[in-house]
Amino acid sequence: MSRVPLSIKVNGEELELMVEPHWTLLEVLREELDLTGTKEGCGEGVCGACTVLLEGEPIRACLTLALEVQGMSVTTVEGLAGEKTLDPLQESFIRHGAVQCGFCTPGMIMAAKALLLKNPCPQEEEIRRAISGNICRCTGYAKIVEAIAAAAPQCNSSIRGPLQGPGEEPT
Amino acid sequence: MSDYAIIGKRMPRVDTPAKVTGEARFTADLKFPRMLVGKVLRSPLAHARILSIDASRALALRGVKAVVTGQDTFGEKWGVFRYTQDQCFLPMDKVRYFGEEVAAVAAVDEDTALEALELIKVDYEELPAVFDPLEAMAPGAPLVHENFPQNINIHVRIEVGDVEGGFAASHLVREDTFTAAEESYFQGEPYAVVARFDLEGNLEIWMPNAGPHMKAKPLSNALRIPLHKVHVRKVAIGGAFGGRSEISPADFICALLAQKTRRPVKIVYTREENTVCTRQGHSMITTIKTGVDSSGRVLSREVTCYMDGGAYSSTGPIATSVPFLCMEQAYKMENVRYNGFRIYTNKPIRGMIRVHGRAFACGVDTQLDMIAQELGMDPMDIRLVNAREAGEYTPTKSFVASCAMKETILKAAQKARWKEKRGKLPKWRGIGIGCNSVQTGFPMGIRGGSQAIIKFNEDGGATVISGVVDNGQGNDNMLVQIAAEELGLKPEDIQLVSADTELTPTDPGAYSQVSTFVGGQAVRLAAAQAREKLLGIASEMLEARVEDLVARDRMVFVKGSPQKAIPIQKVIRTGLSKGRVVTGEGSYWPKVDPRREWVQNPYGQMCEAFSFGTTIAEVEVDPRTGKVKVLEVVAAQDVGFALNPLVLEGQFEGAVAMGGQGGMLSEYHFWDKGRVMNPTQLEYKLPIAQDMPKIHCIIVESHDPKGPYGAKEAGMSIAMSAAQAYSAAICDAIGVYLKDYPLTPDKILKAIKEKARG
Repeated sequence: MSRVPLSIKVNGEELELMVEPHWTLLEVLREELDLTGTKEGCGEGVCGACTVLLEGEPIRACLTLALEVQGMSVTTVEGLAGEKTLDPLQESFIRHGAVQCGFCTPGMIMAAKALLLKNPCPQEEEIRRAISGNICRCTGYAKIVEAIAAAAPQCNSSIRGPLQGPGEEPT
Repeated sequence: MSDYAIIGKRMPRVDTPAKVTGEARFTADLKFPRMLVGKVLRSPLAHARILSIDASRALALRGVKAVVTGQDTFGEKWGVFRYTQDQCFLPMDKVRYFGEEVAAVAAVDEDTALEALELIKVDYEELPAVFDPLEAMAPGAPLVHENFPQNINIHVRIEVGDVEGGFAASHLVREDTFTAAEESYFQGEPYAVVARFDLEGNLEIWMPNAGPHMKAKPLSNALRIPLHKVHVRKVAIGGAFGGRSEISPADFICALLAQKTRRPVKIVYTREENTVCTRQGHSMITTIKTGVDSSGRVLSREVTCYMDGGAYSSTGPIATSVPFLCMEQAYKMENVRYNGFRIYTNKPIRGMIRVHGRAFACGVDTQLDMIAQELGMDPMDIRLVNAREAGEYTPTKSFVASCAMKETILKAAQKARWKEKRGKLPKWRGIGIGCNSVQTGFPMGIRGGSQAIIKFNEDGGATVISGVVDNGQGNDNMLVQIAAEELGLKPEDIQLVSADTELTPTDPGAYSQVSTFVGGQAVRLAAAQAREKLLGIASEMLEARVEDLVARDRMVFVKGSPQKAIPIQKVIRTGLSKGRVVTGEGSYWPKVDPRREWVQNPYGQMCEAFSFGTTIAEVEVDPRTGKVKVLEVVAAQDVGFALNPLVLEGQFEGAVAMGGQGGMLSEYHFWDKGRVMNPTQLEYKLPIAQDMPKIHCIIVESHDPKGPYGAKEAGMSIAMSAAQAYSAAICDAIGVYLKDYPLTPDKILKAIKEKARG
């Protein structure tokens, strides 16, 4: 098969690539660009591990042909952190213990990012709905929901506080 | 409250920064120059003789670098035990389940590899197959393995006390049969392997694992290369839940392809392969007969369990025993008989999973509820009457040094307002309780202990070398927390080298809930030895006795005089200038009875500690649809001591999701003969964020005398008690005792309708 040109912006960088017409966006990100933070968990759009932002909207990279995003802007988990600082969502996931095996984490964070971009002050139900397409097998979602709520600091969320219960953080 | 600097704190895990940025590398993320893609050809039949394999057309395809079949192997058979060696990683004679490995290719890319699979021609002679354990045991049934009559793979037989006498003395005897379908792990990460050989002929291999040393030995055997030349490397691991404890045929096949092509090879399983061709949970038929006195105290119990083991042994003897062991630990039983049969069928291979037998655990607890109802007792009270206590022996003769089972029942009941709710909830609402216990370790032979090595570095930090692996639960952080505490350092001062068979000493692996108890203890002992040497140098500098010195917050000082502290870095540098290197070694070997054996002698000390837990769930059932809404869950566990409450809560919450929400409401496989009809997440229903109820976690601490800082296990016992609590709550809500798991809406609706008809 012959490759065709693809112009996309990934994490702010304009790229000119040659891709097979049948490649998915996920294959281009992982295989061509080595952006392996975006995971493949099912390959059929169910698990959400491949969630990336397309023009700020969450999409499944595994169900999106690369050529469908011609000329558009894609953000992956690698594009969230600044040079020295993490995105508040990333900080919050760490601090709240929202990560266990971590395989779903990049997709989960991207789904949450899309939510916060639209709705900076989400209620618990809105958070749960926003990540309902992202399967986590380890956490039972409790700490993920807490972490997302806490990453919207301007809100007086009624969601369980971050650091209750026994023990305290080491100094 | 203990005066720890780091232990017991809500410390965010050291492995998480790399995981939130996407920088953590899982196996499928690895890439090497000249790397090939491997793909496996799988059996399209459940039971068939392999007559011939012709790979010539595949080999002729451009881009194909190798094809391997059973003919390329030494034909070594794998089994966890010597007496269970029954599986060739690439079978030569016959295939025994739909999806079994038949051949594999390595090619320059995935498209070529997939095309090559289609060009391999295999001639099969289809054989009669069996898909049901009871049919498989019947006379004249086809044999999955010729040398196992009636397809009985394992028979575990335990008998303690006077079972018949106990029944005769009982005020009430009940016998009920409980059944459950297979469930799957659905780890976030599908299985993957990368293998390559270095210039000295060492195999380097990466894969999700629950114990790198447990992978290296069978690889060494099957490839016939020395053990020290098998280097299982550390890699981020996307979950295990008991499903990654053993060698996988993919490990061997990938290594074989790398050996043959002299190039790195990567195999990444599809989601369907991960479900069908790794491991599944056993389906079960469990008959439980229990006799009690008028106070509800169990006098005698007999359990017979038939487990569908699938095509090969896997962890068979362990898997056949653990469901029973969990319940003999949780509840007092003086007179008990257990017959556990693991039966071969032509279905995928079954292994250990976080909930050890829904039909077992939920069966025992459901029957307790039935008995309590007949006696007019509260379900909580019948559990308090029978709950295990510290200082007792289990029926199979394990001493229970620490146990706060009763405390978990009482605390969970108080938090859930059990007494106010049980029997007083509105129609279609229900509340249920489940209790369970799990082992902290098994007898594991020469790999039953863990060793650790620690060295201080010139900058005052330390390197910790341990074989413990982290497959998602936070073991890396546990090791760092313990080392930092003992050495008087900050967590960021610790360099962790772990889970690598070339570099790290032996460790039993992160299963059987043993990592903290054994691996953590080894690191603690190694650190204590290094600290002793550190303080020896400091004692000369401070002109004080070693026993009066404290190492904390990167400083060494005389107890009570932190103002006259000297930095640890200075102590290390002073030591270096005198040629005194500060290192430590630690080894922990659990005091188990080495004569205990799963089948031949299932008696003696099983492990050193047991955890105990209680879950209470409150549910609402929609009588029109049979759908269950879980309103609230309280999970209480005796973990010994909480090294890190933040991590523990995550284990509790995840356990409720997997054992209760998924395990009891929606997760099961359905079949067309030997073929799984719901191998992916589209059809197999895992809990999502909107399904989950509010979970209250209660950490109970019994301070185990042997555990590091008193710690035991966390995370598995709640998965089991959550399954039991969900089941009990649903039965309470609809007023019917259900006996076939999971409790899906169709079964609930049917029970409601049958009850209404009387």
